[in-house]
Amino acid sequence: MSDLMSGLPLLPTSVVGSYPVPEWMERLKTDYYRGRMSYAQLRDLHDMAIKAALRDQELAGIDVVSDGELRRDNDIDYFLARMPGIDIPRTAKDFYFDYYDARVTERLPVTDTAPLMLADDFSFTAEQTSDPVKFSFTGPFSLSRRVRNEAYDDPDELVTAIARVLNAEARALAARGARLLQIDEPFLAGYPGEVKTAIKAVNLVTEGVDVTWALHVCYGNRYARPSWEGHYDFLFPAVLDAEVDQLVLEFARKGYADLPVIDKFGWDRTIGLGVIDVKSSDVETPEAVASRIRSALGLVPAERLVINPDCGLRNISAPVARAKLAAMVAGAAAVRSELTGAHPLSPLNPSHEEPAQ
Amino acid sequence: MLVDFRPHAKLSGTSPLDLMTSLAPVVEALREVSTDLGKVRLVCDWVQYKSNFREVVDVRPILLCPQLSAGPGPAIVPLGVRDDAIEIAVDVRRSAGMSLEEVTAALRRQRERVRVPLEDWGPGSGSCVWEFNARYWKDLGLWEKSTGRGYEQALPGGESDAHNHDAARDVIRDLFEVWDALADGDALPEELYVVELGVGNGGQAKVFLDEFRALDAEHGRDYYRRLHYMMCDYSQHVLDLAREAVGEHRARISSFVLDATAPCTSLGFLKYKVFLVYVSNVYDNLPTDEVVQLGGRTYCVQVRAYLDDAGVAGLAESAGVTVDELPVLVRKLLRLGPGLLAEADPARFADVDAAVAFWRAVWDLVRLEERYVPLAGLDLYALAPEMSGELLRPLLESGADIRMHVNNGAVASFADSLRLLHPFGRLVCHDLFVTDVQAYRTDFRGPGKYEGSVVNWVNGPLLAHVGRRNGFDVHYAPFAHRVGGNIVTMTAQVRD
Repeated sequence: MSDLMSGLPLLPTSVVGSYPVPEWMERLKTDYYRGRMSYAQLRDLHDMAIKAALRDQELAGIDVVSDGELRRDNDIDYFLARMPGIDIPRTAKDFYFDYYDARVTERLPVTDTAPLMLADDFSFTAEQTSDPVKFSFTGPFSLSRRVRNEAYDDPDELVTAIARVLNAEARALAARGARLLQIDEPFLAGYPGEVKTAIKAVNLVTEGVDVTWALHVCYGNRYARPSWEGHYDFLFPAVLDAEVDQLVLEFARKGYADLPVIDKFGWDRTIGLGVIDVKSSDVETPEAVASRIRSALGLVPAERLVINPDCGLRNISAPVARAKLAAMVAGAAAVRSELTGAHPLSPLNPSHEEPAQ
Repeated sequence: MLVDFRPHAKLSGTSPLDLMTSLAPVVEALREVSTDLGKVRLVCDWVQYKSNFREVVDVRPILLCPQLSAGPGPAIVPLGVRDDAIEIAVDVRRSAGMSLEEVTAALRRQRERVRVPLEDWGPGSGSCVWEFNARYWKDLGLWEKSTGRGYEQALPGGESDAHNHDAARDVIRDLFEVWDALADGDALPEELYVVELGVGNGGQAKVFLDEFRALDAEHGRDYYRRLHYMMCDYSQHVLDLAREAVGEHRARISSFVLDATAPCTSLGFLKYKVFLVYVSNVYDNLPTDEVVQLGGRTYCVQVRAYLDDAGVAGLAESAGVTVDELPVLVRKLLRLGPGLLAEADPARFADVDAAVAFWRAVWDLVRLEERYVPLAGLDLYALAPEMSGELLRPLLESGADIRMHVNNGAVASFADSLRLLHPFGRLVCHDLFVTDVQAYRTDFRGPGKYEGSVVNWVNGPLLAHVGRRNGFDVHYAPFAHRVGGNIVTMTAQVRD
């Protein structure tokens, strides 16, 4: 495994992946999917937006940043539309965020190349920042749920086939310098009986790729709404077999009642602790964030905690996202200083100004 | 001159409207009052509401500039393809019988503007007609006593579709199907919440609960015991009556006084927990603006309520005030209601009945004059809390001329209600919906008067767009359990 995390402070802060898409950008992205803008113009737009998102995260003091997934139309189609063998009969969209109707009519071709070209996306991002970068992509189980399967008798075979494509992408990403990769499984909570299948596929994705691996499982965040309700106990014990280093979970919105489950089943790796509710535009205070972290410390040692929002920031406004990230950084710094005795830089003051004497 | 004669069904059929009889006097009259016909739009509607806010002929100024600069930059009004100065609006249901002289006189009256205004110019949703509307629901009992008929008797068909047992059974069976699947996956919460916004006399709640209990007994999964039916209404008085109507289901009922445009203010604790939000004939009765796309520009329709010249002198005399004093007295009526007005001003109103008679007479004379004010940018127009006018763009972007309601109150209520819904929940609404934008180019959609209330058809495509941007599929279908009515059933549920 990569040593990316060892170079970070105690209680490092990160994001889950997506960043706010302002309304003007939604209009332009939609224009592209209606054929009113060229791909070159869209790519230019994405490049500029990613640079801005990185700058926002750096200014907030986030330790591990992301490209905000700003190139993606949504968490599914960006991958399926590039995947050889996936058939999308209608590629225009009324609204860029809509899901395609995708289907597979023949078995996906086996490939050693990386057809989704995610490594190019990563390289662009890594060139724009000196901070460590987390690169996330949707996992094989969730991708398979949005494909009408007309090719495989056993639906698990489609999951496996998609996992092999993603494994090729992961290898290419690692070869281009990626050190922290995250698999997102936003649909898994809706299919608690399928966890073993999903974990088996996760292990196919990670196979032979020596990076720090994170697995993010939430209750959905499409249009800032949960897609499912439930409890994380459905993940265990199957998730213990996942070849990943971090489990990135949603807690801030639902509360921390599920946290003991992790301890009970003996998860001994890192937890990405959700401390920011991404389905609410109410900005948490640094004190609230610090309190949430402290409550987790009783069950997970600080050395095994990464501090992050519940999920992607896609559905909140940029000013709210910036304020939430600043509060998260300040709250984490406050708890870090309590644990290490080091004086933080204005831990409870997100503006980084010196506190009044 | 541009003539927009709405292709209402009255133009065809066995005894069609005579186009020339409707139009010719108006065009002649326009010549008489020396209007520059090159800058005139003439729009002809069949106003189906016999009680409404229109005169036979209305003149609507079309302004060139927004009233206020809303931001630090200049207010940009795009170049249009026409520069009309006025719109003449004709109600052809009534104009066909008018002589040239009458139309000319009406036009002159409109242009001279000798009126008794009740308010300043402003968007439709801010007009005092909504205060009349609110007063009507607060003092419904007094109005009904005075007219001798209940509100539902005034509805087309004489009763609300909300009382339909078949419709209730369909909704309940859908709920059971969802709940069964969730229960089989061990994902059904213990508490099963249903919210009804606008309970009226409790008739719908009673039908629903009676049917629910019966169907649950057949179904055998004990859902009735877990049901929490939340009755919500603007009026405590109405809620009290509704509670009586559903007395036998008391253990399953909670009631909340709330503003239908912001249900989460009272029901926030139910966010993502409600399996059914039921709304019947509420949206058409919530405040709305109208926007207009004309000649490549977007305008807000500003209105100003006034009292019809024809009856205002008689009204003033009957109330013992001068015409100029009437607006103050009307404000007092709206603020106090007829009950307190009679107490506060016994010299003019001998009893509550007299105050109610005054209320009804005023309402009968209330009209709305209109003007079109350019919108400097859709983002500068507040559609509803936290929702900008950008949401209107898909409906306007073709650039074709259109005038439509934006149902600000309904949009706010709908969007806020969606926040309550469980991931497998749905919102079901029976109302007067326009389901296709094109329909705004054919028929008049309000406002009209239903007894003491205001009614406007609801912009279905806009609500569908709002739903979609919140992750919901929105479907419209004619109300399935009554033939020939205008009521449409809207269903919203999580997409994907």
